[in-house]
Amino acid sequence: MKLKVLALFLAAVTLGLSSCNSNDDENGIVIDGITITDDVDCCSAEEALQVYKFLQTVKIIPELSIEVDGKYNVWAYSQSGSFHTGYNEIYFVATKKISGNYIKKFNIKNLTPLMHMVKMDMYHSSPASEGIESFNDSYLAVQRGWVSFSMPTSEAGDWVLSYDVEVLGSSAQVEKTAIMVDALPEGQEWVKSFKANDKTYYLSIVNPTDFETGKNTIEAYVSVPGEDRTASFGLAKEEFTIEIDPRMPDMGNHTSPDNTSLVRQKDGSYQGIINLTMTGLWRIHLTVKDTKGDVVAGGDDLKDGYSSLFWDVTL
Amino acid sequence: MIALALAILLSTDSVATSSHLIDEVVVVSVAGEGRKRSPKGQVASIDEHLAELSHVNLVRRGSYAWEPVVNNMQTERVSTTIDGMKIFYACTDKMDPVTSYVESGNLQSILLNSGLNGNPQSTGNIGGSLDLKLRKAGFNGDAFHLNASTGYETNGHVQVYGVDASTSSNRFYANGGAFFRHADNYKEGGGRKVSFSQFQKVNAFSNLGFRVTEQDVLEGTFIYDRATDVGYPALNMDVSKAEAFITSLAYRHQFDHPVFNTWETKLYYNHITHIMDDTTRPDVAIHMDMPGKSWTSGLYSLLTASKGSHDVQVNYDLYYNRLFADMTMYPGGAAPMYMVTWPDVGTLNTGVALTDLVALPHQQTVRVSAKIAQQWQKLNDEEGYHALRVFFPDMKDNYVQTTGRIAAIYTWQPSHWQLSFGTGWGSRAPTVTEAYGYYLNNTFDQYDYIGNPRLKNESAIELNGAVTWRPSTTFSLGADANAFFFSNYIIGQFENRLSAMTVDAEGVKVYGNLSHATIINTSLNAQWQALPWLTWNGKISYAAGRDDDSDPLPFISPFAYTSGIDVAWKRLHTRVEVRGNARQTDYAPKYGETKTAPWAIANLNATYTLPIRQTALTFRAGIENIFDKRYSTYADWCDIPQKGRNVYVNLAWEL
Repeated sequence: MKLKVLALFLAAVTLGLSSCNSNDDENGIVIDGITITDDVDCCSAEEALQVYKFLQTVKIIPELSIEVDGKYNVWAYSQSGSFHTGYNEIYFVATKKISGNYIKKFNIKNLTPLMHMVKMDMYHSSPASEGIESFNDSYLAVQRGWVSFSMPTSEAGDWVLSYDVEVLGSSAQVEKTAIMVDALPEGQEWVKSFKANDKTYYLSIVNPTDFETGKNTIEAYVSVPGEDRTASFGLAKEEFTIEIDPRMPDMGNHTSPDNTSLVRQKDGSYQGIINLTMTGLWRIHLTVKDTKGDVVAGGDDLKDGYSSLFWDVTL
Repeated sequence: MIALALAILLSTDSVATSSHLIDEVVVVSVAGEGRKRSPKGQVASIDEHLAELSHVNLVRRGSYAWEPVVNNMQTERVSTTIDGMKIFYACTDKMDPVTSYVESGNLQSILLNSGLNGNPQSTGNIGGSLDLKLRKAGFNGDAFHLNASTGYETNGHVQVYGVDASTSSNRFYANGGAFFRHADNYKEGGGRKVSFSQFQKVNAFSNLGFRVTEQDVLEGTFIYDRATDVGYPALNMDVSKAEAFITSLAYRHQFDHPVFNTWETKLYYNHITHIMDDTTRPDVAIHMDMPGKSWTSGLYSLLTASKGSHDVQVNYDLYYNRLFADMTMYPGGAAPMYMVTWPDVGTLNTGVALTDLVALPHQQTVRVSAKIAQQWQKLNDEEGYHALRVFFPDMKDNYVQTTGRIAAIYTWQPSHWQLSFGTGWGSRAPTVTEAYGYYLNNTFDQYDYIGNPRLKNESAIELNGAVTWRPSTTFSLGADANAFFFSNYIIGQFENRLSAMTVDAEGVKVYGNLSHATIINTSLNAQWQALPWLTWNGKISYAAGRDDDSDPLPFISPFAYTSGIDVAWKRLHTRVEVRGNARQTDYAPKYGETKTAPWAIANLNATYTLPIRQTALTFRAGIENIFDKRYSTYADWCDIPQKGRNVYVNLAWEL
């Protein structure tokens, strides 16, 4: 406990100094459970501190963590330490057992969710990120991937998750590990699918929890299963435009002006602008169009005049 | 010396009363010759006192908290101050004009300056300025004075109880009192009950004065006012609580100087909390909480001086006001919906005003007044600011505005005649609702209103004139007219691209500037004392408003008339009157107004004063709407009907 207090104190002092003094004495940084050495594979004291601080903002998922070759540990984290239907980010770090320090380069591959449908005894996967990468220059030693669960764990079926890891020439596999996927509360529907070109496409909204009253960037992924439905669903090769029509069903389908369609970005994600005039339940009606401008999905006129393809976001 | 000082102190008011632009209704104390007062006396509500003023109409949303309209202009274009103090209402739906936060017992009189020739503390007073003069016991009065009054009205079982006491000496005075008012639902003409028209109100006040030296005086004021269970039959919501706390501390110096007369500096603070409530309404689609808060702190410093034929007032004022309102809606089962409707707008306003009354030879006077003010506004609520930016992506969270006014009036009073004419120019900054209001539902035209931070200041040129012919002491005939030529007139404009928020709303309007608009007001009045105990008086008025397409503006009074006979016999004074409006031909369908039918009602009242030794007992009784006519006026929000027949009695006792 004392050590931890000292660590936090020194961390604070060091951070304070680093802004005005470039010649920090790196040995001044003490992080609980980490020994900083001159190991080139591992983080410097400053880098390690940043990783350490980031990891304070997320929660570990013990069942997805693994020891590699008796020398390394790989740890998995998510925002809340659990999973829910729709888009979830998973963070990975690898440490050397000897020093506890974070390893800068390691590879996570084949992150695969798998659902076992009990009744039909069938298996299928779900949308997931194709690559797992360092997501921010500041956190070189943190890698990020995502999984969008198409349904929650229930009597109908259970989820397992697996991935492969390579750390400094050693490799290991987290085999199909049972995980719990919680249902979203009422008023939240963050993953939807539509059929087109004989395929089923999945629309996963990425950032619904970031939405606030006012102007927001809305981000999503369009995923599609390959031949093997038990392999994770990658991003669709086809390009679409996703038109949005946000409505408040509790307020007579009140809407907001100046929303822009989601269009594909260089990184494969889709982004647009959504304006939200107040908090509450927003039903974001979707019309998916192909590059020729033809409607592929949604945009159908129900009797209330709004697309039957939608996300629900309650803020 | 002291008597002289008092005379000068009081003179600031009487100086003003020489022109047709200034009107005053006396609330308490003996009304002087020609001074107006409500037939219900002190027991009358503030709204009933206001109704006595010429140029004033009242927009009614229920039986409580009527909105004064001056020269057919509503709150946005009227300045209201309490003894020079700025105070701003806290309800986004205008359920609480600031006049609702005082009681008759608090006031000496209500002074109206019509048009741009405003009182020194007023800003944005294109239509006029109202100053509610607080009732202070003053120095060298009675050592002890007690006042008690009570009233009862049959229609709505209105009960009024008031008591106040004062003590006064050469060095010190104090007065204070309490007022209680309660009303149940009233009945419209014909006897049908108007649901949600009840209210209850308590009010307590005190004024203190302390003479520090022969020439220096400290005065303090405190008012607490709380209305509860106020029904608004014209609206979808009622008010569970409207509460105000008003306080000030003033220092006044009496000069012994050939030029300078007095110098008064007042510090003040007031706070309003307004809580709307729809929980007692049946069939509410979505329950909503809509609280609003307003607090204002400020000061003014007024120097009066006279030299030769000039009477000069110089005033500096500064105030800071914060307005915040939000709305939470609770759809059954689903997540609550929240929005900020007034984004915690801080307004810092400071201005300098100058008034000069010049006495010219041959009964001529010229009164010139001018003011320049600068205003800084900041939106302190991030969420509200981001919400507005959806509609105005380039808006900022702070704005600066400069406003000003200048006006002059010339008066000539040869024998048997009084002639005056005046002109002025003035501007006002948009109100918080007009600039930053967010989805404020207006039940009058069924539109949701969004403020517009890009609005330009509105300005107007005023022309006015009046003539009174008084060939004898028993007869007079007068005419009065004014015209306001607006530039950048601010009004809600259709915005078809936006979607309404309120479930039953027709659409959305965004405040905008019309390039020009015009409002004119005219009236004729006559008085004839046919017999020493019998006087007839009559008044007719006509007004018109036009927007930039020459279409009528809303809330402009149709042709209106009053005719009454006063009979005075010994200590009994009775009056019978007929008042009415012609058909509203000039209504404004473009702005959601519907045509109001003509109406006429008859009223009767009587006052009897009985002196008992050192005390005076005054009885007042009357019948309003004698023939129980069912009617509503153009100013009745959503055409809610006025009271049917109402018999009232009240009793005031002065010790």
